[in-house]
Amino acid sequence: MLVYEKKSMFFIPVFALVFLTMIALPFFVDLFYQTFLTEVLVWVLFAISFDLIFGYTGLLSFGQALFFGLGAYAFSISIVKFGIGPGTAFLLSLLIPMLFSWFVGFFSVKLTGIHFVIITLIFALMGSTIGETWTGLTGGADGMTIPLSTVSIGPLSLNLMDIKTVYYLVLVVVTLAYLFLRRMVQSPLGKIFISIRENEDRARLIGYNVQHYKLLAFIIAGGLSGLAGGLYGITLKYASANFLHWGISGHAVVYTIVGGMGTLLGPVLGTAIIMSLEHYLVNYMQGTDLVIGLVLVFMVLTAPKGLVGLFQRKGK
Amino acid sequence: MISNLSVAILNGVVWGLIMALIALGLNMIFGLLHIINMAHGILYMLGAVVAWYLIEWTGNFWLSLVIAPIIVGGIGMAIERGLLRTIEDKPLITIICTFGIMMAAQHLVFMTFGGTPRRIPIPITYRFPLFNLEYPLMRIVIAAISVGVMIGLWFFLNRTKYGLWMRAVVQDREMAIGLGIPVNKVYMWTFVLGSGLAAFSGVLAAPIVYVDFMMGREILIMAFIIVIVGGMGNLEGSVIAAIIISLIQGIGSLFVPPAVATVFSLAFMVIVLLFRPQGLFGE
Repeated sequence: MLVYEKKSMFFIPVFALVFLTMIALPFFVDLFYQTFLTEVLVWVLFAISFDLIFGYTGLLSFGQALFFGLGAYAFSISIVKFGIGPGTAFLLSLLIPMLFSWFVGFFSVKLTGIHFVIITLIFALMGSTIGETWTGLTGGADGMTIPLSTVSIGPLSLNLMDIKTVYYLVLVVVTLAYLFLRRMVQSPLGKIFISIRENEDRARLIGYNVQHYKLLAFIIAGGLSGLAGGLYGITLKYASANFLHWGISGHAVVYTIVGGMGTLLGPVLGTAIIMSLEHYLVNYMQGTDLVIGLVLVFMVLTAPKGLVGLFQRKGK
Repeated sequence: MISNLSVAILNGVVWGLIMALIALGLNMIFGLLHIINMAHGILYMLGAVVAWYLIEWTGNFWLSLVIAPIIVGGIGMAIERGLLRTIEDKPLITIICTFGIMMAAQHLVFMTFGGTPRRIPIPITYRFPLFNLEYPLMRIVIAAISVGVMIGLWFFLNRTKYGLWMRAVVQDREMAIGLGIPVNKVYMWTFVLGSGLAAFSGVLAAPIVYVDFMMGREILIMAFIIVIVGGMGNLEGSVIAAIIISLIQGIGSLFVPPAVATVFSLAFMVIVLLFRPQGLFGE
């Protein structure tokens, strides 16, 4: 428990070092790895947003794919069907998933434990069934390509066809989201989330409106998952109904469990390690689910607190 | 119309009975071990895939109906003893663990069995006349076998020592331990029985559907729907829910696209979860 309260004295220098490295990286790697790094960052955002509700608040949601897919579609449909500019569309990829997660969360947080897992799964299933069927809007499993060009934010002019530009955009958004979440989990609000995870009844007895805070965590996580979906749309210039499939939620579960739930560093490490492993394995086998699944089972059984948990135990 | 409707009703009942067997296994494992087994669809798929290999080898469907569930039951035993035993009292962790098993096993089958859906030869090809259409006798046999298995299961749970042990552990685990019931063994055999039932329904479904490494995914969701609507831990409820839902899907698909029927049944499930989390037929 104390781990969460300790404000690490190493944070600022280490963070600055990592951030500077990330800024410098695109100059040392080729186009392929620039895209790969961008995708890693997108999934980092998805994983840390999932960790806010699972790792910190104790709610295992299998429905995050819905918000990820909604984010990607809010972005792509705004541009393709309504001719809205990329800047506004990107804002919508945050707001529309937040609206939907408010709706889904309103019903879901009334339930606890296994029932919560299942109801979030059902909402995700409804989303993917509708997404696959309503091909006129979503393009179904074939998906839709997003025409992107230059976008100006104030004096800045970004060419979204250039992967380096996209990389820096994603890096900035994900870093801001990370700092925002870090600030939040260390704030009194974050303590309330943790108290709900540790003992919901006690949190209620102290006088917290538990459902209210669960819903708040759900909406924030849903919005940031949507933002990740929007960034994925910018990266790939493409969105499809597969983004809504509940298997996508499994990505967040794997990254978070392997890295360590209930710490923000955990999902970041988990995403980077698992995605690198996948990238390496693709050369040797068709698909990587076998290895990733085994890694997940192994971690759950031997180190349920993930890699960060192992490190913390050694440090003591 | 009347002939289409009667075929839809028959299909609904046959499919409902197969689904009931899958859901019974899932529900038994939930009721006793409190595990939401995300790998349950995989056990169903393994039943069908193992049966396909056995039929390729021996050419005998009926033999595979016996052997495939035993093999998959053994796999279930390995999963329970090797992986789940130590984490059984942590429901959320077991969900994640069985999700991992699902990922790994599905991909393993994909690598060995391949991605192409296969058909098995149907052992009984006779089709009897039904109004102005024909209906395959095989499906009636499948339904009859399912009913037979369910009756056998009922006798096992209500009339044998092991069955009574299982029900005792569900009702009061501490008391069961106190009475000297080997709870650990009961857990294991329940998981084996649940796995075997899933595999059995996989073999029964094989003459109706394509055998495919992905076939466990949608089934898992259907099985969840049935278990929730019927009531978690309520086995009779599962059977009733399975038949009702399959009938609604079967008859509904005469009038609306299947995807619409699916969305409606999912929405129905949300309502059940919110207002009667104990299920429609739960106490």
